[in-house]
Amino acid sequence: MKKTEKPVESLIHELKERAKELNCLYNIEEALNERDTTIDAAFKMIVDAIPGGWQYSEITQAKITYREKVFKTKGFAYTPWILAEPIKVQGVEMGALLVAYTEDKTNKKETPFLPEEEKLLKTIADRLGHFILHQDLKNVFSDLREATTHMNRPTKGEWRIVLDMIRKTDPNLFLSIARKLLHMLCWNGIEEAEELSRQSSIAMKSNDGEYDEDENKPKKKMIINNYDDYIDQILKLADKYIYDEEILARVQKWIQEDKSSGLVKALETKDTSLADIADAIRKYYHLAPEKFELSPSTIKGLRVSLLRRFFTEDLDYIRVAKDYVKLTDFYKLIDKMIYQPTSRGTLGGKSSGLFLAASIINKKSDDNELMKNVKIPKTWYVASDGVLSFMQYNNLEEVLEQKYKDIDEVRLEYPHIVQLFKNSQFPPDMLKGISMALDDFGESPIVVRSSSLLEDQMGASFSGKYKSLFLANQGQKSERLSALTDAIAEVYASTFGPDPIEYRAERGLLDFHEEMGVMIQEVVGTRIGKYYMPSFAGVAFSNNEFRWSPRIKREDGLVRMVPGLGTRAVDRIGDDFPVLIAPGQPNLNVNITTEDIFKYAPKKMDVINLETNEFETISIEDFVASYGNQLPGMNNIFSIYDGHIMRQPMGIALNTNNGELVVTFEGLRKNSNFVKRMDLILKTLQNCLKTPIDLEFASNGVDLYLLQCRPQSFSKENVGDQIPQNVPKKQIIFSAKKYISNGKVPEITQIVYVDPIKYGELETKDEMIQVGRAVGKLNKLLPKRKFILMGPGRWGSRGDIKLGVNVTYSDINNTAMLIEIAKKKGSYLPDLSFGTHFFQDLVEASIRYLPLYPDDEGIEFNEEYLCSSTNVMKNLIPEYSHLSDVVRVIDITQASDGKILKIFVNAEIEEAIAIIDTPKGELPIEEKHYYVYEETQISDHWKWRLNMAQRLANDLDLDFYNVRAIYIFGSVKNAVAGPGSDIDLIIHIDNDIKLDRLECWLKGWSLALSEVNFLRTGYQTDGLLDVQFVTDEDIKKKHKYAAKIGASIDPARPLRIRV
Amino acid sequence: MKGTDFNPFAMAQAQFDKVADILALDQGTRDLLRNPLREFHFSIPVKMDDGTTQVFQGFRVQHNDAMGPSKGGIRFHPQETVNTVRALSMWMSWKTAVVNIPLGGGKGGVICDPHNLSMKEQEQICRGWVRQMSKNVGPLNDVPAPDVMTNAQHMLWMLDEFEVINGAKYPGFITGKPVGMGGSLGRTEATGYGVIFTVREALKQMGIKPENTTASVQGFGNVAQYAIQLYTQMGGKVVCVSCWDQKDETSYSYKKNDGIKLEELLKITDKFGGIDKEKAVKMGYEILDAEAWIEQEVDILIPAAIENQIRKDNVDKIKDTVKIIAEGANGPTTPDADKVIEKKGIFVIPDFLANAGGVTCSYFEQVQCNMNYYWEKDEVLSKLDTKMTAAFLAVSDLAKKQNLYMRDAAYVIAVSRVAQACKDRGWV
Repeated sequence: MKKTEKPVESLIHELKERAKELNCLYNIEEALNERDTTIDAAFKMIVDAIPGGWQYSEITQAKITYREKVFKTKGFAYTPWILAEPIKVQGVEMGALLVAYTEDKTNKKETPFLPEEEKLLKTIADRLGHFILHQDLKNVFSDLREATTHMNRPTKGEWRIVLDMIRKTDPNLFLSIARKLLHMLCWNGIEEAEELSRQSSIAMKSNDGEYDEDENKPKKKMIINNYDDYIDQILKLADKYIYDEEILARVQKWIQEDKSSGLVKALETKDTSLADIADAIRKYYHLAPEKFELSPSTIKGLRVSLLRRFFTEDLDYIRVAKDYVKLTDFYKLIDKMIYQPTSRGTLGGKSSGLFLAASIINKKSDDNELMKNVKIPKTWYVASDGVLSFMQYNNLEEVLEQKYKDIDEVRLEYPHIVQLFKNSQFPPDMLKGISMALDDFGESPIVVRSSSLLEDQMGASFSGKYKSLFLANQGQKSERLSALTDAIAEVYASTFGPDPIEYRAERGLLDFHEEMGVMIQEVVGTRIGKYYMPSFAGVAFSNNEFRWSPRIKREDGLVRMVPGLGTRAVDRIGDDFPVLIAPGQPNLNVNITTEDIFKYAPKKMDVINLETNEFETISIEDFVASYGNQLPGMNNIFSIYDGHIMRQPMGIALNTNNGELVVTFEGLRKNSNFVKRMDLILKTLQNCLKTPIDLEFASNGVDLYLLQCRPQSFSKENVGDQIPQNVPKKQIIFSAKKYISNGKVPEITQIVYVDPIKYGELETKDEMIQVGRAVGKLNKLLPKRKFILMGPGRWGSRGDIKLGVNVTYSDINNTAMLIEIAKKKGSYLPDLSFGTHFFQDLVEASIRYLPLYPDDEGIEFNEEYLCSSTNVMKNLIPEYSHLSDVVRVIDITQASDGKILKIFVNAEIEEAIAIIDTPKGELPIEEKHYYVYEETQISDHWKWRLNMAQRLANDLDLDFYNVRAIYIFGSVKNAVAGPGSDIDLIIHIDNDIKLDRLECWLKGWSLALSEVNFLRTGYQTDGLLDVQFVTDEDIKKKHKYAAKIGASIDPARPLRIRV
Repeated sequence: MKGTDFNPFAMAQAQFDKVADILALDQGTRDLLRNPLREFHFSIPVKMDDGTTQVFQGFRVQHNDAMGPSKGGIRFHPQETVNTVRALSMWMSWKTAVVNIPLGGGKGGVICDPHNLSMKEQEQICRGWVRQMSKNVGPLNDVPAPDVMTNAQHMLWMLDEFEVINGAKYPGFITGKPVGMGGSLGRTEATGYGVIFTVREALKQMGIKPENTTASVQGFGNVAQYAIQLYTQMGGKVVCVSCWDQKDETSYSYKKNDGIKLEELLKITDKFGGIDKEKAVKMGYEILDAEAWIEQEVDILIPAAIENQIRKDNVDKIKDTVKIIAEGANGPTTPDADKVIEKKGIFVIPDFLANAGGVTCSYFEQVQCNMNYYWEKDEVLSKLDTKMTAAFLAVSDLAKKQNLYMRDAAYVIAVSRVAQACKDRGWV
C-alpha cells in the first residue's frame, strides 16, 4: 500500500494511536504529580499506564528497572519484540524502561513498534529521569534538614550524609571527591589506601584498567560491583583514619572547586560573549560566595582568565594583576557594564589601570591604615567593541578606513565624522545599558572618558589624544540620556580624529585593531551654589622629573594639584600655576618668599556649572566672594596673606576680611595625612607594578578618590634618553652626572654661552646688568626652543648679580634648556639654584634645567669649542658688541658643518651628555593649549621615501651608468625620517668613470622628489637625495661612507636593482 | 677670592672715600668708618628633618652704632659673603643717618638656600642665629629686620627665641612684624608717601604749586600706588604710569592726558600690579610701550619699579620739561646715566633719601614697641612727614650751600652725621 493512497480508515487509525499516546502520557503525569508520592508508588502506577499508549495495548507489557528495584506489569517477559530506553539522571544511567510485545506483530517489518512509539518511550524515560532527580533532591534536603538539626556539634558520619547526597545528585562530582579522598589518604601515609590506589583506579570504570586483564570480555556488571566496593573501601578508610571535621571541610572545599567549573569553561572558550561570562560569574557567585575558599591555584586560574577577558591579554599586566584582584571585584563589575549581548570586547586601557590600582590598594590596606578608604568613584563601563556595534548599527563601517587616509584629509573630514556619529543611533541593547547607568548615577555630574585598547599599550601615551567629556547631567532623564549618548558618540568619533591617528602613525600602531571602551564616571565633588566641583584634584607621579632642590630625589615623586576639577593640574596652563609638592620631601616648597608663594598660587579653577550644564573656568577669588567658606576642607586649601605673613586659617570659619586667600594646600600638608598617603600610594603602586606610575586623583574634602592610574613611562616626555656611548671626545660639548631630570630636548642649533670667567671679570655692576639685557634680546631673536642658555651660577639671581646673570623669566622664556655652570673659584664652589624664583614658570613652559659641574671628575666640558667657535653675537645684537668676550652665541650648524647639538638626558642612570651630531630632521616641540605634542611627524615620511628610493634603483640603467649597487642608509633606512629628511644613498660605481650623466640623472630625481615632499609636508628643500659615490677601492679600505656597507652596526641596506 | 672679582664692600668703601674727601675727614675717622665696628661669624647647627645635622654659617656685621642701636636686615642667601654683608651694613649706616633717626647700621645673614629647606628647618636656623647672637643684639644695641628671603614669620621666630632667652618681652628687638604682633600701622603707605613728602618739599623750594605739575610714574606696585595717591591728593596730575604685564611678559605705559585716576585703575588691576589692557583702553587710556613713561613731557619722573631703569641708552629720552626725578625704587639710575642727569641740571631726590620712608617706619615700629604703645595710622604718617621733610631740607640745604649734586649731598650729610657722632663720643 502506497502512502499516497492511504484510505481514510488508516488516517483515523493513526489519530486514534496519537490519542492513546497522549492519554498514556497524561496518566503518567498524573502519577508523577501526585502529592507526597514516592518513587516506588509512582513507578508502580506508571508501569501499568504505559501499555495503554501502545498500538497493541493488549499484548504490551512494561518494565522499569531503577537502581536495585524492578517494577513490571504482570505478564512481562523478555521476547524478541522489545523496546528499551535508559533512564538517565544528569547524564548517568540509573535504570531502564522496557516495553515488550508478547506476540509477533512485525508483519515482516524489522520492528513492530511505530517510530512514534519509540519517541514516546524516550519521552517517558526522560520524564522519569527528571522525576528521580527531583525526588533525590527532596530527600537530600530533608536529610540536610535532619543533619542541621543535629548539627550544633558535628555528628559522626555527617560527611557521609553529604557524600550520599552528592552520590545521588551528581555522580561525576561524587567520583571526583572519592578520588580526592583517596589521594588525601595516601598523602596521610595510610598504607591500605596506597594499596587500594595501586591495585585499582577509578578510571577502570571506563573499561581499560590494567587490573582487568581480559580486555575483550564485556564485564560491565563486575566493574560496577567492583566500583561500589572500591568506593566503600575508600569511605571506610576515611572514616577510620581522618577526623570527621576534616573530611567535611575538605569535601566542602572540593564541592566549591567544582562549582567554579562552569565559570572556567565559560572563560576558556574563546567565543563566549561578555553576556555569557557575566551569567557564569553570577551563577558562580550565587553558588559559591567568596567565603568558601577555593584552592589558590583555582582562584589564580580564574583571575587570570577573567583579567584576560575583561581587560587585556597583556602578560605584564596579568602577571601583576593576578596577585591582587579578587573574584568579588569582577562580580561587582559585571553589573556596571554596558555591552551588546554578543559583545566579546574588553574594558580598555584606562579601566584596566584603575581596576588594578584599586585592587592593589585594597589588598594593601589590610596592613596599612593609610591605604584604607581610598575610593574609586562610581563607574560604568562600555565594552570596547561597543564602538563597532554602534558603527555597524548605523552602517558607518567605511569610517574605519579613515586611518589610512592622508592626515590632512583626516583633519578635514573629522568634524563631519563627529557630526555623523552624534546623529547616529545607539543599538537598543546599548541604549538600555546606558539608560540603566544613568538611573544609577541619578543627577550627579559625570565624566565620559575614553578607555581604548591602545591606551594600555606600553610606550603609547594617549593622554589628551582621545576625548574626556564632563557632563552636568541635570534635568529630565531624556535630556540627560541624549547628552550622555552624544558624549559617548563624540568619544567614539575621537578614535578617528587626526591627532590620535597621527600619533598612532608615528608609533606604527595604525594597523592595531583599535577599539574604544568608555568609562562613565561620577564626578567627585560637592554642589556649591550653581557649581559642582571637587575640593581639590590633581595628578601625581611616582618619579619627580622637576626637582627644585638637590635634596629632592627622583623617587620622592611629584604631585600637581589645584582646587576644583583636576583638568588645570593635568594640562599645562600658561597663565596659572598648580601647587607642586614632592611627597617624599613634603616640606621643601618650590616657592620660598611669601611674594612668590602668592604669585605662583592657582588663581582660577575648573568647575561644572549645573545651571548652564557647562564646564567652566572661574576665578577663585570671585568664587570665595560669593560662596564664602562652603567649599569642604577650605582650611586645608587656603592660607591667608596679609601682605607680610602667610597664615593658616584657624577654626571653623575662614575669616576672609583680614587678608587675601591664597591656595597653598598648607593645611593639607600639615594637618592631614594626605601627603603621606600619596607618597605611600605612589610607592606601593610603583613597587607592585614595577614601573613608575602616574595617577589622577580628586577629593570632595572628605575622601580621596583615584580616577586614573597608568605607567608614567607612557608619557614620552618623561622617558630617559638612551645615552650614546663611546662618543669621540671632540664631539662632546658637555656631560653631567648629577641632578639629572628626564625630559626631551629638541635638536639645538644655537648656544648662548655666558663665559663664567669673563663674567666674573666684569668690573662694574652696570656691565653685568647689560649681560642680562643682551641675553634677553637674544632670547627674542633666536628660534624658540632651538637654543640653550649656558651661564655661570644662578640665572636670574636677584641678590648678588655677580653670582649669576640678572634676567627675568621673559628674558629666557624661549630657550630649550637653562644650564647653570658651577665652576670652582679657588676653593669656593658656587651653589646652583635648581629652583630659581621663576622655576615654576620653567616647569609650565617645559624648559629643561641642567646644572653642570665642569670641575668634577669624569665630566666633559668642551671649553675650547665654547670659547673658540665663531661668535655671531655681534651680528645679532651689534649694540652689545662690547660684551662679545662675555656673551658668546655659537651657531652650531655654521661652526660644525651643518650639524646640530643633541642633548641626551637620563635620570635613571644620572647622566646627561650633549654632542654634536647630524640632524634627524625632527620638528621643534610646539606646545598647544590642551595637547602636549611630543612630535608632529607622520610615520610614512620614511615609507614613501623608501618606496621612491626603490623605484629609483629599479629605473636605474646599471650598465649605462656603470653602477654596481645602490644602498640606502640613515633616517629613511632606520624608519625615523622626518618631513625634512634627506634620502641618503650610497652608489657603488666602477672605478674611474665620469659621473656627469649619472649625477644629472640623479639630480632630476632629487628635485622631483623634493617637489613631492613639499606638496606632502610643506618643507622646501633643494633636492631630497643625498648621494655618496663609492668605488671598489673605497669598499676595500672601508673609506668614509663605504664603511657603512656591510658594517656591523647600522649598515647601509642594498636596494633591489634591475638585472 | 681674586682681586678682579666684583666686591661690593670695595665698592662701598670707594663711595665712602669719595665723600670723605669732600668732607676732608681725618684719617682716624676714615679708618673707623671704612670698616665695621664689629663682626660676628658663627656656626648654627641645625637638626634637619631627616635626622642629620647640618651646620650653617651665620654673620652679623655692626658697621656703626654711634647714633644708636645698629639697624639692618637678615638675609638668607646661598652665596652670601661677608663682603656683601659688610657693604650692606655700611649702606645702612648712611641710610639711617640721612633721615636722622637715632639708629646705626648693621646687616646679617646666613649662608643657606631656603629652596632646599623646610619651614621647620628655617625656623631652627632663625632660632639658632638668635642663640648665637643674643648677647650682642637687642632693642638697645642691634635691631634686625627682614631682608632677602626672610619675612615676618622669620622675625617672629627670632623674636620668640630672644624673649625666651631673656625671660621677658622685647618686641623692640626686631622690626618687620605683622600688625598686632608688634608691627606698626602705616607701613604699607610709608615708602610711597615718603617719596611724595620729599617731592612736595622740592616743589616748594622751586616755587611750583603741586596742582600745576604733572608726573610720570614707572611701576604700579605698593610704592607707586601710594605715591600716586598722595601726589594726586596734593593736586598733581599723573599722566602716565607704566606697569608689568604678566601675560605678555613685558611692560606697558598707560597714558591719560587729563590725569590717570588711581581708583579706576585699581579696579582693573590684578594682585601683582598688572593693569587690564582692554579695560584700560575702554576707560580712555592710551597704551604705549614700556619705555614711554620716561619720554613724557612732565615735571616729575618717579621711577618706582626696579633697579637700572634709567640708563645710558634711554636717559636722552627724558624731556626738558622734567624738573625732578624722585627715586622711589632702589638704584633706578645707572652711574653713567646719572652723569647725564647731573649735566642736564635735573633735581634728583636720590633713592636712599626718597625711599627712606620704609626705614623710618621701621624706626617708628621699634619706638612703639619699646614703649609698648601703638599709634594710630594718622599719627605714624604725620610723624613720617615730619621726619622726611626735615631730612629732605637738610640735604637740599647742604646741596645748595655747597653746590653739590643732590646724591652727593645726601651722602655727605649722612657720613658727616655719623662721623660727628663718633667724634662727640670721643671715639676719634
